[in-house]
Amino acid sequence: MKLSFLQLISIPIVLAILFGVVLFSETEPELESTVSVAEAMGGGNQEGYLQATGPRDFVFPDDHGAHPGYKTEWWYYTGNVFTAEGRQFGYQFTIFRNQLSPPTEISTGIGDSTETGDSSEHETPTDSIDPKKSSEDDWSTDQLYLAHFAISDVAEADHVFEERFSRGAAGLAGAEIDPYRVWLENWSIERLPNSGKNDQSFPMRLHGEMSDGTAIDLKLQPEKPLIFHGDQGYDQKGFDSGNASYYISFTRMETQGEIVKDGKVYHVTGNSWMDHEWSTSALDSGQTGWDWFSIQLSNGYDLMYYQIRNADASQQPQTTGTLVDPLGNTIDLEELEVMLDILEYWQSPHSGSRYPKRWTLKMPELDIYLELGTLFDDQEMRVSVQYFEGNLGVSGQMRGKEVSGTGFIEMTGYEQD
Amino acid sequence: MPTQSDDLLWISSLRFLLKHPWQLALSILGVALGVAMVVSIDLSNSSAQRAFSLSAEAVAGKATHEIVGGGEQLSEQVYRHLRIDGGIRNAAPVVQGFGRLDGLARSFQILGVDPIAEGPFRDFSSQESGIDLASFIQGSATGLVSNPVLQELALEVNDTVGVSVGGVVVPIRIVGTIEVANERTEQALESVLVVDISTAQRLFDMRGDLSRIDLILSAEQQEQQDQLQIIRSLLPDGVEVQYAGSSSETLAQMTRAFELNLQALSLLALLVGMFLIYNTMTFSVVQRLPLIGRMRALGVTKSEILAMIMREAVLVGLIGTMVGIASGIALAQLLVRLVTQSINDLYFVLSVQELTITPGPILKATLLGLGATVLAAFWPAREASEAQVTTVLKRSNRESALMKRLPRFTGLGIVLGLVGGSLLLIPSGGIVVGYISLLLVIIGFSLTIPACMVGLASLFRPVLGALNGIIGTMSVQGLLSELSRTSVPVAALVVAVASTVGVGVMVDSFRVTVVSWLESQLQADIYVQPPSSVARFADAELLPELVEVLQQTQGVERVHSVYSETITANFGPTNLVTTSLGALAQQTYEIKRAESGFWDRFPNQRVVMVSEVYAYRHSVSLGDTIQLQTDKGLQEFLIEAMYYDYASDLGSVTMNREVYDRFYDNRAISGLALYASEGTPVEVLVERLRERADGLQEVFIRSNRGLREASIEIFDRTFTVTYVLRLLAVIVAFVGILSSLMALQLERAREHAVLRANGMTPGQLWNYVIVQTGVMGGMAGILSLPLGVIISYVLVYVINLRSFGWTLEFLVSPSLLFQAFGLAVLAALLAGMYPSIKMAQANPAHALRSE
Repeated sequence: MKLSFLQLISIPIVLAILFGVVLFSETEPELESTVSVAEAMGGGNQEGYLQATGPRDFVFPDDHGAHPGYKTEWWYYTGNVFTAEGRQFGYQFTIFRNQLSPPTEISTGIGDSTETGDSSEHETPTDSIDPKKSSEDDWSTDQLYLAHFAISDVAEADHVFEERFSRGAAGLAGAEIDPYRVWLENWSIERLPNSGKNDQSFPMRLHGEMSDGTAIDLKLQPEKPLIFHGDQGYDQKGFDSGNASYYISFTRMETQGEIVKDGKVYHVTGNSWMDHEWSTSALDSGQTGWDWFSIQLSNGYDLMYYQIRNADASQQPQTTGTLVDPLGNTIDLEELEVMLDILEYWQSPHSGSRYPKRWTLKMPELDIYLELGTLFDDQEMRVSVQYFEGNLGVSGQMRGKEVSGTGFIEMTGYEQD
Repeated sequence: MPTQSDDLLWISSLRFLLKHPWQLALSILGVALGVAMVVSIDLSNSSAQRAFSLSAEAVAGKATHEIVGGGEQLSEQVYRHLRIDGGIRNAAPVVQGFGRLDGLARSFQILGVDPIAEGPFRDFSSQESGIDLASFIQGSATGLVSNPVLQELALEVNDTVGVSVGGVVVPIRIVGTIEVANERTEQALESVLVVDISTAQRLFDMRGDLSRIDLILSAEQQEQQDQLQIIRSLLPDGVEVQYAGSSSETLAQMTRAFELNLQALSLLALLVGMFLIYNTMTFSVVQRLPLIGRMRALGVTKSEILAMIMREAVLVGLIGTMVGIASGIALAQLLVRLVTQSINDLYFVLSVQELTITPGPILKATLLGLGATVLAAFWPAREASEAQVTTVLKRSNRESALMKRLPRFTGLGIVLGLVGGSLLLIPSGGIVVGYISLLLVIIGFSLTIPACMVGLASLFRPVLGALNGIIGTMSVQGLLSELSRTSVPVAALVVAVASTVGVGVMVDSFRVTVVSWLESQLQADIYVQPPSSVARFADAELLPELVEVLQQTQGVERVHSVYSETITANFGPTNLVTTSLGALAQQTYEIKRAESGFWDRFPNQRVVMVSEVYAYRHSVSLGDTIQLQTDKGLQEFLIEAMYYDYASDLGSVTMNREVYDRFYDNRAISGLALYASEGTPVEVLVERLRERADGLQEVFIRSNRGLREASIEIFDRTFTVTYVLRLLAVIVAFVGILSSLMALQLERAREHAVLRANGMTPGQLWNYVIVQTGVMGGMAGILSLPLGVIISYVLVYVINLRSFGWTLEFLVSPSLLFQAFGLAVLAALLAGMYPSIKMAQANPAHALRSE
């Protein structure tokens, strides 16, 4: 019996402390989790979607609205506007529609029998309330909407942008035709009461506000009729059938309104351009992206031109272009010679991507020679997809006369691997 | 560093303890039992709380505020308005409810969200976390669970699980799993099913409605106020912004009284444990008085003696505490399920899968166990150290001292009892004051026990003398001559047995009250209810087509309906019960008080009645007004009656349906009461109704008797934890009696040897010891009855009233008292068995020689 009190008592105390340390040493961690999902359905799979396979009969106002069944669709608004003092802003305001799964797979809800096969025995009374549903009441949807909004402040060489998402349901986002309204929450373009005449060239209001307060509120009035690109609006992009889109534009819209940036309100006027395009697949395999130009010239002409780049640089790019005269008559550039040469590049410090920044555009048959350049370098959109969307300065000659102009350049597919 | 003399003393006490292993083991057991009960109750309470706060944290995510409607629902129009017209960005719609997953025996929180809006709120349900929108938001009934849940279900991704909500089973395909980053997240999500908001709206039949809108507002005060102002300006009447935690906080508060009562019961066990420790420590000191006297004579100082005894106490306390904590954790595994079940039946859905061992309860138990042991050992230790070297060798001094002090003791006891009693009279005293006065009454009563024993002895002596002759008289007298030693175990027994009586009477009273209340409440012949997630609340709805079908069943004479929902009142979330009975409600509701003419106004005027519990909780009475959030904004109603209601300790407000329909758009029904027409046997009608309901919705269709039995079953279930605690208290009491009496008799070996040497036969000695312990058990049994009744009286009329506001009938069942008495006597007799046999067999000369 040689154990002292302290020795004896220290055994359980040490044990208890050890126990306590082991038990309670872990500090309370944050609640944290991620989701692992079953293989995403139909990524890149186009089966079951509608395809743009040939010219269609456009019907308005219906075709201003959404075309569910096609996988993607966008309403693309860009513009160059100026304050009275001449300060220039570019804006991009785009609402995208994305169909999440082929239309045939749309299920009707709980108790639906498309997936379990034997679910007839699961039929529940819940089904019986389905017929009552109105579109606003229903949150279930296969339509996902995205919106990109950017302001290019040329004077400050400052490009601010934001992306938003919403389901195309419950009244949160959508595209309606009567009256025209394309919106994602509080970002929207909607038709203003018409002064009467042309139902296809209605005035509209475009407004949105970013989280940091940058905002836009513009009134747009088309000055030319709706333009149908390619073959009466059917725009073949790849060589494969179905790799095409339906593509219509308002190439020149008189624009006035307000831009709010960094807490300041700017009253602006200028020109806007609207593209509405829908398709299921546009690019062939082997095509990596496109360089797309929209140009509004001082002589009243508008020019849309894009080329689709191939991974294999030796291949001829697929191009489409439309020249619109001041009255709205179009010349398809398909059969004409267009030479686009890159003069200079800019490498994005954010993504490392290398984008062209200056070009010459020559169309000898039309006697058009233009020099194009981004108004400042960093107009890269780094959102769920990465691309470049920036405003352009334009100068050169057309039919022997000096012309200038403004425009937008969109470049996709420049991501570094 | 211990000095040489310290070590010698320590070795001496260690020797002594090891020489008396029974005594050592019993005192350790005493501490361990008390500590185990405290630990297990504390741990199961804290596990339940943690489970609750974790799942609340998980579903609230990073929301700082939330927008809620006046009723349970909120129009989704509000969300559209916020987003589109208000441009409010950090807002996420939520549709939430409860359901069960096939194959898992617990309720799941079903969280319906819009993954696209979730990003800032909950990482596990946001688009950014990788939810595949294509399969999730298309309304094709898909969901996500955490990986462990999927394993529990023995399913794989893309398998389908049946989800049952309010009696309707819907197959949900699991399209992905939530990968949890740590155990805490795993626990938080162990009962969560994440679905798209459209799926949730269908599951809960909430088309066009949301449960709430979560918000994240600026942490900066001024900015937050500005944001709040903007948001409030966008909200329609009856819709409010509140702190995100508010509703779960209120929910957590609901169980506070419930948990406090469980804690009090466990502390009562520790109190009994303290008595046992005091008892054993006293023994070990008294036994060693001669030794201590010699040590003092040899020059060991007072403080060294004190330290020696206290060190023994620390050792016993430490070992007992450790054993107690270990067994408490084991016991908590059982208790946590019972506590969870009770909370589920009474308050809200809570899933506690596992016990969470937190430092708090362990630390508390360590302090209590060690502290109680040291405290209980202090007086015997001091007594030993202060004893005079010469007189310490004589025990008779102590005995005469106690006899002299008896009146003072008794007086002090009576004073303490009176103080405790008068504390009870303070009407505004809380639950804690209630328990303090209960403690004072118990201590006061136990101080009078020596005097009571003297009194009882004079009753026992003649009786036993007549029955058992000289040995009978000797047994009784032997108790009195060593009162200082015999009174402590008797007091311990009295407290232990009385606490079992107290709790038993309380539960009995409660049960009788509920049963008789049910009798009057259930007037109709047949009741129809959907299964609900919380047993005491009707939180599910009957399908309108089912109501139609049942009403039109042949043999149904008339029908009335009830609807129950949680709405916001100026007193917080309130259970609003709507009855279609109108003035007929006076036949079913047991009214405590009502304004005159109340029944004329109840059917169609702005009056409500509140349950007595509600009135107590929110201190309202007749003539007060209550403001309820309605679909027509905040409305005032006059409280004109108060009724008895034992369905929930949260209370409820009852309104006539006609009035309700004027202020609320909801037309749902959560229960139906049917009356059989003349000549239709109820059982036949029940069968007929069941047939007709088949395939429409899974509902309970029960006869009056069936529902009553089901209700009583739920009642009993909610009290299971109390029953278990009472059983534990009985075990503590039993072990206590056994240990203290056995120790007492073992310690008297020398005395018994003297008796043998003086000519007592082994049989007579056996008789002597058994009768003596039997008398002690009997005395303890008798004395525990009045104390038990006093304890139960306090529990029923003070503690229960102050915790819940209930008026209970007070019922003392003779069988319970008899049981308690029997327990005391039986344990005492058993305790006497071993020492008496041992003594009877021992050689008296041997026992005497050891002197």
